[in-house]
Amino acid sequence: MNKILVIAWREVTRIQKQFGSRASALVVLAFLAVLGLSAFALWNTLSLGNGLYQIGISGNVPPLRDSRFVVINVDVEQGKTLLEQHRIDVLIDGTQVLSRQDEKSQYAVRALKQYMEKAELERIGNTYPEANAFPLRARINYLGPEQASGQTNGDGTTSDIRPEETIIPSLTPPPLPFQQVIVALIYILPITFISIFFTSSFMDEKINRRLTILLSAPVTPFQIILGKMLPYVIFTLAAIAFIAVQTKGNVLLMLAIFLPTTLFIFAIYLMVPLFYRTFKDVTFIAMLVTTLTTAYLVFPAMFTGVTDLSYISPLTLAVKMYRGEPFGWREYLFPSLPMAAIFGFSIYAGTHLLNEEFLIGYKPISRKIGDAIYLLMSHTKLYLSVPLWSVLVIPVVYMAQIMILAFAADLPLGLTLGVTLFVSALVEETVKSVGIVMLMDHGKIRCDREILWYAFLSALGFFIGEKLLVLISLAVVLQASISSVLFGTGLLLFVPLIAHFTFTTIVTLLRAKTNLSFAAALTIGAMIHFLYNWYLLGGLQ
Amino acid sequence: MTPFWAVVKRELWTVIRDRTIVISILIQFFIASFSSGLFLGMLQLYDVDTILRFSGGALRIGVVNATANQLVTFITKHGMTVIPFQTLEQAQAGFYNGEAVAIIDAPADADGITEIRIYLPESNTISSIVRMVIQEPLKEYENYLRIQKGVDIHYTDLQGEPSISFEFVYSVLLPLLMFFPAFVAGSLTIDSLTEELENNTMETLLSAPLTVVGMINAKVVSVVILAVLQFGAWLVLLKLNGIVIQNTIWIFLLALIVAGITSMSAAVGAVLLQDRERSQFIYALMLLTAIAVSNLLNASPITTLSRLAIGDYYTNGWTVIAFAIFLAGLYLLLRKISRRIMA
Repeated sequence: MNKILVIAWREVTRIQKQFGSRASALVVLAFLAVLGLSAFALWNTLSLGNGLYQIGISGNVPPLRDSRFVVINVDVEQGKTLLEQHRIDVLIDGTQVLSRQDEKSQYAVRALKQYMEKAELERIGNTYPEANAFPLRARINYLGPEQASGQTNGDGTTSDIRPEETIIPSLTPPPLPFQQVIVALIYILPITFISIFFTSSFMDEKINRRLTILLSAPVTPFQIILGKMLPYVIFTLAAIAFIAVQTKGNVLLMLAIFLPTTLFIFAIYLMVPLFYRTFKDVTFIAMLVTTLTTAYLVFPAMFTGVTDLSYISPLTLAVKMYRGEPFGWREYLFPSLPMAAIFGFSIYAGTHLLNEEFLIGYKPISRKIGDAIYLLMSHTKLYLSVPLWSVLVIPVVYMAQIMILAFAADLPLGLTLGVTLFVSALVEETVKSVGIVMLMDHGKIRCDREILWYAFLSALGFFIGEKLLVLISLAVVLQASISSVLFGTGLLLFVPLIAHFTFTTIVTLLRAKTNLSFAAALTIGAMIHFLYNWYLLGGLQ
Repeated sequence: MTPFWAVVKRELWTVIRDRTIVISILIQFFIASFSSGLFLGMLQLYDVDTILRFSGGALRIGVVNATANQLVTFITKHGMTVIPFQTLEQAQAGFYNGEAVAIIDAPADADGITEIRIYLPESNTISSIVRMVIQEPLKEYENYLRIQKGVDIHYTDLQGEPSISFEFVYSVLLPLLMFFPAFVAGSLTIDSLTEELENNTMETLLSAPLTVVGMINAKVVSVVILAVLQFGAWLVLLKLNGIVIQNTIWIFLLALIVAGITSMSAAVGAVLLQDRERSQFIYALMLLTAIAVSNLLNASPITTLSRLAIGDYYTNGWTVIAFAIFLAGLYLLLRKISRRIMA
């Protein structure tokens, strides 16, 4: 622990030196100014369709304060001509609105409608007594499913599951998650920004060969990684607490929600300095990580309250908090545990990859990844590491398959299913066999019996992981009854296990016995896997 | 081959050798497919018009006291089905039989404040959909009540077409795909320059018959070529996908100019700071500031691009030329300070 703190302190002084001396105050000031300015500007222009509509105005019209509209003052006749010539999209003449029949003009009318509704409410709210300006109240009640037999209580009332809420329709928009999602998104910015500094600190040490010196000192790679990470994690948490205070959130709750997220993002950024070869690699990998983590965190949160699957993102919890809705331990652990697990895996990988030989030297990126997998696996007994690898990569496979689906959704409908199935099979076969193939390449696995044995272990690990994932996600999110249906199928369970084993054996044996490259062997294995899945789907119909 | 083009060729070759440029292209595909497939799909999920167009008739709203009420007219007008009930008890029985998904108990229009009761299913999904679709009839009903009370409210008859997809494609998706390669180009310029500086290979490079200015220009040109290949491909792909884009040539030029601006300002930062960490940081801040400031000054390239694409009458080549003048100024600045690199 002490050594971790020493390294952490060394890191803090390094940051001070980097951004230190006379430049620092200036940089901090500039940074704050820029942040404030962009927040202000973005807030004002966040609306879709910035500057898209040309609006002609004539007569007495309330001012249009919306970034979507560009206003031109005209007289009526001139305005009608401009409208005809497509120079403006809508002409407002006093309380009359003139438009054309084409799409662009009609879009502008809709945008205008949204704006005018609000403006008019404000006007009549200020001009008329409240009972006249807002003459309608709607009381909203919810009917529970318990009385499904059609029986109501004697007096005609219902059992109230939620308290009655009274709304004024024109003032109460229906519940939409977007606004809170944007607020929750603000938390991700400092996490990403600070973790990029963590990455470049590591790179710096690598370039200056100081990492080599550090590695020869009496500290373990584990201590180096945690020590270097610690100051950045503390900065991040401080930033989160700051945002929580500013947005009037619950500070402790926010720290609890975003700690796993922070660790998750740091875990992924830890991989960047280990794998990069040139600076351009760093840029590309960092971009990839930022895009994917943002999509992974933000997209599910947009479905908050619509489907329970939105809980795979911790942002959903933050959205819930801002809406003042409660959530329980299960909802908290569902997104947090996988992130903590990925953090643990990444630290484990980092400690084994942090050595001179792996870090230095230019290799094709595929070789580099292959070497990393070999280093991780050969450290423990193979009969443990092979199945364990298959279990641990399940979340990655799962995320990859969601991405594939997103890509394939754009293809023509007939292709979508086929492409998704094939690429998913390819991904699955790759993760199951890559470990064994790397071990074969390094001479750790030689005879056929061994190949068969490890292919079986890998398939078993993958199978267990797959079922575990389904079980956990169903048990946590959905009613327990569904999972019992899925897992009560008895013997049928072993068919997929045998299938996994067969495909993995095909790939590894092809690689061992023939001159085929790994890629070619994989393609053949994936093809057979694809045909099997295709057959299963056909059989279902 | 001149030394200038030799450097350009070397830069491009290393990018191809590293293969990681594939990541950048993948990200763009990800953005495009994510937004066109899932994001737009989701926007439509929340879009009342789309819901009503596809399943309005299936939304059966039970209304108690239906005959005496104007609200029924508004609900029917929006394409939902109204199931009339005599009493609340009957309506609730109907709700549990599946005859109606929600119930509105609406008394006759009162003198003072009209109070109605809405009964929704407990399911979050269905109740939020119902609340979204009855919002518009409720508002129209509210306006009707206002007029009854002599309130003078304007612009209540506007309809139009749902504009979310249109606004999203032209103000978010198109600018993103056109400018993303430009933003990446800036980052790559910094990488390429600082890598030579931090690995001490700059001096070797400059022993070739090439000036400092020439060397930096070569690096800028090579990343801009990469950017052009990417946004050019997007322009073609989007057009093939049937998205109408006007003023294609001006849009191409604007994207080219913006790629030049980002990579040259990134080069200025790298020359001044001479290390990757700080240069990338300052570059990211500069981008944010540029977007914010240009927006405040009403000269945002993003808005210009959207307007060019929709064929706005008041936006044309002259706007693009204004950006070109800025680029020329930036080039002069870069020339002036690039000598500092060997200091």
